[in-house]
Amino acid sequence: MKKKKIIILSIIILALSGGLYAYMEFNRKVKDLSRVRADVKFKSGELIQEFEKDEKAANALYLDKIISVQGQLKAIEKDLANNYSLVLGDAASMSSVRCSMDADHQDDIQHLKEGVYVSVKGACTGFNADELLGSDVILNRCVIQD
Amino acid sequence: MKRIMLLIVIMMTLQQFVNAQTKYFTKNGKITFFSKASLENIEALNKSVTAVLDTKSGNIQFAVLMKGFEFEKALMQEHFNENYLESHKYPKAIFKGEVLNNSSIDYAKNGTYKAKVKGTLTIHGESQPVETEGNIVVNGNQLKTDANFTVALADYKITIPKIVKNNIAKVVSIQVACLLEPLQ
Repeated sequence: MKKKKIIILSIIILALSGGLYAYMEFNRKVKDLSRVRADVKFKSGELIQEFEKDEKAANALYLDKIISVQGQLKAIEKDLANNYSLVLGDAASMSSVRCSMDADHQDDIQHLKEGVYVSVKGACTGFNADELLGSDVILNRCVIQD
Repeated sequence: MKRIMLLIVIMMTLQQFVNAQTKYFTKNGKITFFSKASLENIEALNKSVTAVLDTKSGNIQFAVLMKGFEFEKALMQEHFNENYLESHKYPKAIFKGEVLNNSSIDYAKNGTYKAKVKGTLTIHGESQPVETEGNIVVNGNQLKTDANFTVALADYKITIPKIVKNNIAKVVSIQVACLLEPLQ
């Protein structure tokens, strides 16, 4: 009798924890990158070079990776919905690393001015090569690093 | 002779100036997609859309990186990239087309203009014709553009497993909104 009770009880506990795990997994949010360690670090020029050299190989290496990139702030851009993007790179070059700021970290950039050196952490979403507009490596969900 | 040379130089400079003014672009455009199904609604936003419009020819182009779509839930984002769109294999979606009624839009005069757009959309390595009507709002030297259209997942060989077929719509709506600025 006692054995039966233990078995039933453990089945219930198992089912409950399984259900809780499924529920939490289903509702899991994308991680805030300020709390995630970068997979790899680059100077903005180096990262651009990686993609300009061989986009396919760079995609295989860096897509979805959390990249910390350091470079000169060429421009701060604001879109229709007041989302900020930081454009990093050599002012004389058409190519840049474009960092779209995380929705929860828009205020991070308030103290920044064009021309300063910044360190930004973001998830790499790929490369847009364009002769007319200049080529860009894109980082998303970006946060400023201290 | 000198005068003629000067005239040619002036005309060439003007020509360049005119050319430069005909192209408008953004790198911060937005694409939202919305899937309405019986079990749940799914919405995703991409804020890093590249768009170029040549007001002279009416040619218009969009490029978007699939990995840049943000979902409310992490699991949705992972399934979208890994299972359905295979973003590692097909990292980019591209639209190339033209504004069919380009000549009826006065880019020099503020106002809201209807724009009929037709072109080819490539997602997941598959290309399909797309035609839709959108708006171009001319405001000084800025062009605000928006358009809606629908995409049938099967047309782009995006297969949804049976087990989640009640969670994901077969036809999703796409919303594009860009603020274009003159290309210097």
